[in-house]
Amino acid sequence: MEEVTATVVMEGAVVGPEGAEATTAEKKGFKVVVAVDDSENSHYALSWAIDYILANRREDCQLVVLHVQHFVETTFMYPVAGHAVYAPTLSMDAVRKAHEENSKRVISRAVDICKSKHVDALTAVADGDPKDAICEAAEKLHADLLVVGSRGLGMIKRAFLGSVSDYLAHHAKCPVLIVKPPKGSHK
Amino acid sequence: MEEAKERTGTGKKRVMVAIEEHECSHYALEWTLLNLKPTISSPLFLITVQPFSPFTYVAAASYSSPPQELIQSMQEHQKQAALALLEKAKEICAKHGVDVETITEMGEPKEVICQVAEQQNVELLVMGSHARGAVERFFLGSVSNYCVHHAKCPVLVVKQDSGKKN
Repeated sequence: MEEVTATVVMEGAVVGPEGAEATTAEKKGFKVVVAVDDSENSHYALSWAIDYILANRREDCQLVVLHVQHFVETTFMYPVAGHAVYAPTLSMDAVRKAHEENSKRVISRAVDICKSKHVDALTAVADGDPKDAICEAAEKLHADLLVVGSRGLGMIKRAFLGSVSDYLAHHAKCPVLIVKPPKGSHK
Repeated sequence: MEEAKERTGTGKKRVMVAIEEHECSHYALEWTLLNLKPTISSPLFLITVQPFSPFTYVAAASYSSPPQELIQSMQEHQKQAALALLEKAKEICAKHGVDVETITEMGEPKEVICQVAEQQNVELLVMGSHARGAVERFFLGSVSNYCVHHAKCPVLVVKQDSGKKN
């Protein structure tokens, strides 16, 4: 089992103040982390979060868009006609590059959504297995709320909930909001 | 681009909080009122569901069908407890100045919560959850787990950290 390293790279301003000690009326700012992938669902979740959570508390709400890059293994085996073939380094780089391009695309699309709704968002990118990476990142970022779509890229028709969202609902330390696709559009 | 057909125009959503027989639902309610109050359209729905036939363990423990009075008194006790929880939840809402509408149902909690959420066109379902370890999570969190999977609307799961701040 490879080590899951979730390294969180923050772009933009400095990470906000600590904690979620909302015991007094003095709010230290409410940090909402939205995990996005390439799916329509996660972008809908982002829109939902902006429209219904941030819109109502613009003053002290901070939005962070989090994307987890696919973890690219260094040795990769393509089973071809029964023979295991080690992929040449060149194609490894191509794969890695494709993943990075994909990440950039996902993030920029998310940022576009934010901009169109006049919301400043920080972006964060993490590496590794999505389930753990999002959990860790949410902790490191001191998220007050984690927002995810319900079904991401591995959309099995019969499954109402993707494995990552399910994992996060169970294991994330902070409150988790799972945004289902709107009624009538079960993509 | 998303159609705006679901927007109520005021950025508010119909919110329902499931009140279960654990403190965590009150924590979830408080959290929601503290942090998401502007999102909640009036009134806030509180639902509590009493199970129909919960006492299979009583039957097992007595190796046969238990005495009727025992069942009845346990049901009565459970009903009182449920009402007390609901009252406390209403107090919490009143403290935050939020209008409340309570729904009490009988049946299998997880199914009923999802059904009512759909019937009432709830747009956000809030549940508490326990966060005390993997095994307990499987047994105790079954209602929130079920709702997260089966509710048609967005679900917010608020964990109660047992003494630990994040």
